[in-house]
Amino acid sequence: MTTREETNSNRLWAVAGGVNIRTKILGIVLALVLLLGAAVTLQVRATVSKTMNIQLEEQSVSASRDLAARATDMILINDMYSLHQLLLDTEANNSNVRYAFIVTPNNQVLAHTFGDGFPQNLLVANTVETMEHHRTVILETDEGKIWDTAVPIFDGQAGIARVGISDQQLHQTVENITTQLLITTLLVSAIGITTAALLTWVLTRPILQLVRATQAVGRGDFSHRVNRWANDEIGDLADSFNKMTVQLAHAADEHAEREQLRVRYVNGVIAAQEDERKRIARELHDSTSQTLTSLLIGLRALGDACPQPEIHTRADELRNIAARTLDDVHMLALQLRPSVLDDLGLPEALERHIADCRRHYPINLDLAVNGLESRLPPNIETALYRITQEALTNIFRHAEAETASVIVEKREDKVITIIEDDGKGFNPNQASHNNNHLGLYGIRERIELLSGTLVIESSEGHGTSLFIEIPLSPA
Amino acid sequence: MTIKILIADDHAVLRSGLRLLLNAQPDITVVGEADDGSEALVLAGKLTPDLIVLDLSMAGLGGLEALPLLRKVSPSSRVLVLTMHDDESYLRQALREGAHGYVLKKAADSELLSAIRAVMRGEIYVHPSLTRVLLEDILPPTMDETTNPWDALSDREREVLLQVARGFTSAQIADQMNLSPKTVETYRSRGMEKLGLRSRAALVQFILAHNLFSDHP
Repeated sequence: MTTREETNSNRLWAVAGGVNIRTKILGIVLALVLLLGAAVTLQVRATVSKTMNIQLEEQSVSASRDLAARATDMILINDMYSLHQLLLDTEANNSNVRYAFIVTPNNQVLAHTFGDGFPQNLLVANTVETMEHHRTVILETDEGKIWDTAVPIFDGQAGIARVGISDQQLHQTVENITTQLLITTLLVSAIGITTAALLTWVLTRPILQLVRATQAVGRGDFSHRVNRWANDEIGDLADSFNKMTVQLAHAADEHAEREQLRVRYVNGVIAAQEDERKRIARELHDSTSQTLTSLLIGLRALGDACPQPEIHTRADELRNIAARTLDDVHMLALQLRPSVLDDLGLPEALERHIADCRRHYPINLDLAVNGLESRLPPNIETALYRITQEALTNIFRHAEAETASVIVEKREDKVITIIEDDGKGFNPNQASHNNNHLGLYGIRERIELLSGTLVIESSEGHGTSLFIEIPLSPA
Repeated sequence: MTIKILIADDHAVLRSGLRLLLNAQPDITVVGEADDGSEALVLAGKLTPDLIVLDLSMAGLGGLEALPLLRKVSPSSRVLVLTMHDDESYLRQALREGAHGYVLKKAADSELLSAIRAVMRGEIYVHPSLTRVLLEDILPPTMDETTNPWDALSDREREVLLQVARGFTSAQIADQMNLSPKTVETYRSRGMEKLGLRSRAALVQFILAHNLFSDHP
């Protein structure tokens, strides 16, 4: 039961909710006016008809009694001319009188108002007993209803007076009233529709304005304000909307400011980290390594100069230790920050890094660099190098890929980087919650700091592609 | 005849070690020491050494920048690079600028002397772990020019591969060509297989090498 009711109310809502407020209000007003008009018209018709019917019957009785009273003498003296005149008068005095005639006691029509012959069947349609006061019957004729009243003249000894009252005029009147009422209804409807249109305009104008303002705020335009059109609930809504917009604008400003601070801070942290790495790598390279090299050469000279074999061997051993330390220091400096990146540029640094990776991981690695004949800005070179490093590390650790490839290409106003593998892939939508993809977070962070974009295309079992675009500000 | 050598390195301790090692050889004398590139230029012009042992990264004028100038100032001097850098890029650059030899500092104790002698004999000496670079530049590309596998591809495969190489995502290519991403993947892997390529980077290299971007704008 409830479900059917629900579906019915749903259907109602589907219809009522499918049209706008203007249509709804117009519909309600129109329906009300039409309903009212129809009800009034029907009621008036019924009442008028009923009252007129009673009046017609009374008219019929009074007209025939009058006729009977006045006709008595004329019949008795057999004044046919006056009698005929009386009948014509009766008909003329009351426009409702359709006919009048006098019947003799032996059922002969003495006089009548029918110009073109008396209809014989009318004679038997009504009659009255001599002692009766009157008798009225309603005749259904092709001219409508006729109230036919028969009154005995001189207690029936002089005959019967009959008068027929037609309801045609009554019909005419009722029709006229109905027509007037309908016209009035239509007029009221027209006025109602106009009023309703005005009303909806008054009601919906601030609402439509609010809708436009809401859309503007949705687009991030907080400068939009709505006018308070009226001192009503909608006016209150407009006020609180304006207040909300101001607060939103304030919050957005604050957010932007905080974001700017954060970006500056992260930028600073990254730059400081790179600088520090560069400094330490330089130091290892320029000072520690050189000293170790001096040690190597010195030990060689010492060994060469010394004739005693045990010292010679000892010097060789020390030389080996120094050589291994030199290797370690060199690797350490390289991992901190490869000097190629600063001295020669991104393509050489990537080539070097990928060559190193090939030695350490059992994976096919391809690199394609295009359009990078001239150097990129140092911060972009560093970022792309670190991003590639991080992405490749991710691939080695998690992707179980056979092949990975890196593409760096400079276009007119941007540099694109694609890092792709054919490994097990992942669902990019769930990656942010996964610790394995923390590296991805760092990559995204670095790209955002350079106003770049990252698109990740990956699915389970079909590898992963990172599409990175970094805009180049016009030099 | 002794070999006159100029040492250019910004590390004093290293320079003295080198001098000690080299002067111990009967056929070698160190005639000068320079602290950076510009000093090396002055000394090279003055002393015209037989050989300059040149460090690449020095404060001030670096070795790579100084190299072509040294070759101009003293064309008769041979240049042997002695450096920490084991990157092939540095080697390539140094050889391009006219270096005669390339020795890594970590092997200075064992290789430097033989490198000096080899260079003085007119040979080019390169540290053994780096010689692959030289071969790469010499060996011809392994592509068979007569039968280009690109011609064996279908139009659709070619179109997809070009867009892949241009750096579009599968979703974008699918959108452009009114295909499903799965179909794009199929065209791509089939085309790559026909070309014998294993990755997007390899595809980019192939297309650049055959200048196919300009054929299909």
